[in-house]
Amino acid sequence: MFSLSWRTQRSFFPVSKRLHYLSCRPSTTGPLKSFSRLQSPLPAPQKRCYSQFAERNKVGVFTPKSAALFVITGIGLLYYFRYEKARMLEEREKERQTRSFGRPNIGGPFTLTAANGSPFTHENLLGKWSLVYFGFTNCPDICPAELDKVTTVMDKIVQTHGQIFLPIFISVDPARDTPAKMKKYLEEFHPSYIGLVGSYDETKAVCKQYRVYFSTPPNADPNDDYLVDHSIFVYLMDPDGKFVNAFGQNVGVDEMTEKISAAIEEWKVEKGKTT
Amino acid sequence: MGWFSSSSSSSKKEDELAGAPTRQDRQKCWEARDAYFACLDGIGVIKAGEEEGKCSAARKAYEGNCAKSWIDYFNQRRVIAEAQKERLGQATIQTQQQASKR
Repeated sequence: MFSLSWRTQRSFFPVSKRLHYLSCRPSTTGPLKSFSRLQSPLPAPQKRCYSQFAERNKVGVFTPKSAALFVITGIGLLYYFRYEKARMLEEREKERQTRSFGRPNIGGPFTLTAANGSPFTHENLLGKWSLVYFGFTNCPDICPAELDKVTTVMDKIVQTHGQIFLPIFISVDPARDTPAKMKKYLEEFHPSYIGLVGSYDETKAVCKQYRVYFSTPPNADPNDDYLVDHSIFVYLMDPDGKFVNAFGQNVGVDEMTEKISAAIEEWKVEKGKTT
Repeated sequence: MGWFSSSSSSSKKEDELAGAPTRQDRQKCWEARDAYFACLDGIGVIKAGEEEGKCSAARKAYEGNCAKSWIDYFNQRRVIAEAQKERLGQATIQTQQQASKR
């Protein structure tokens, strides 16, 4: 609205300037004149100005013109603003759509082995909100801390949303981690944790899907005492198996809980579910 | 501590069966580490191994409760963390000096 008043004033500027030149009070522009009349009776000098025939005539010529100009500008601006508003809404809608279509291409098909030795693929993620984390059982401090964090977050959200989670821990240490070892390790964090292992190639493939780096060499000796350097993100995937968000080590319990809850609400709205 | 020992091949087999370090194992290791690092702090040593046998009891507990790979990792991280602390301290002093000049 700023630009409207500014433009209006500007378009009237020559008029008031000319009136000034005609030795009338500069304040006697079209709309302002009527406004000032409403406020106070016209002072004597102004009357005198009007009584001069030629001048009054000129002012009379100006008034409808400027009024028309004002109205036209106003209508023009009104349409312009309406058009801009519609355009902005359209853009916002487009942006919203590209956001859901253009999310990062994280996740995808994989085949690994679960605790009981049965195969576990990306299709097993469907129907639940999965929290996917990569690590290894001989991890000194970061993995256990992150797993504990995920447990706390899940316990919080489960209170309002029920058993919606499928926490997944994928080993980046294929040489040493076995399904049984993973199961025992994860029981200490949450009973619902699913530990997945694979061959070196399978591990490498799933890490590629999730853009995870890991340092285990393909020929690592299972009896060696070594650490695995790896990316430490927790990936949130929706019940359709699509990537929603990634949480780094610096994201605390509260922030993670908030963001996951928001994603769940948003998903419900999108899917038209009310509960 | 069977799970990290690499002294004999029989214990390695047991490791496979026993599985990964438990929460308790980790806790014990962290506590031993903290005690050892506290001792190093007390004598002003940052890099583990440079204490010239002064914290031998704490060091023994540390080595007895943590795998070698973990010990290497924690020791390295201690050095890095100290360097960061120093740099951060210097940066803070610099900003304070600049602020007081203004």
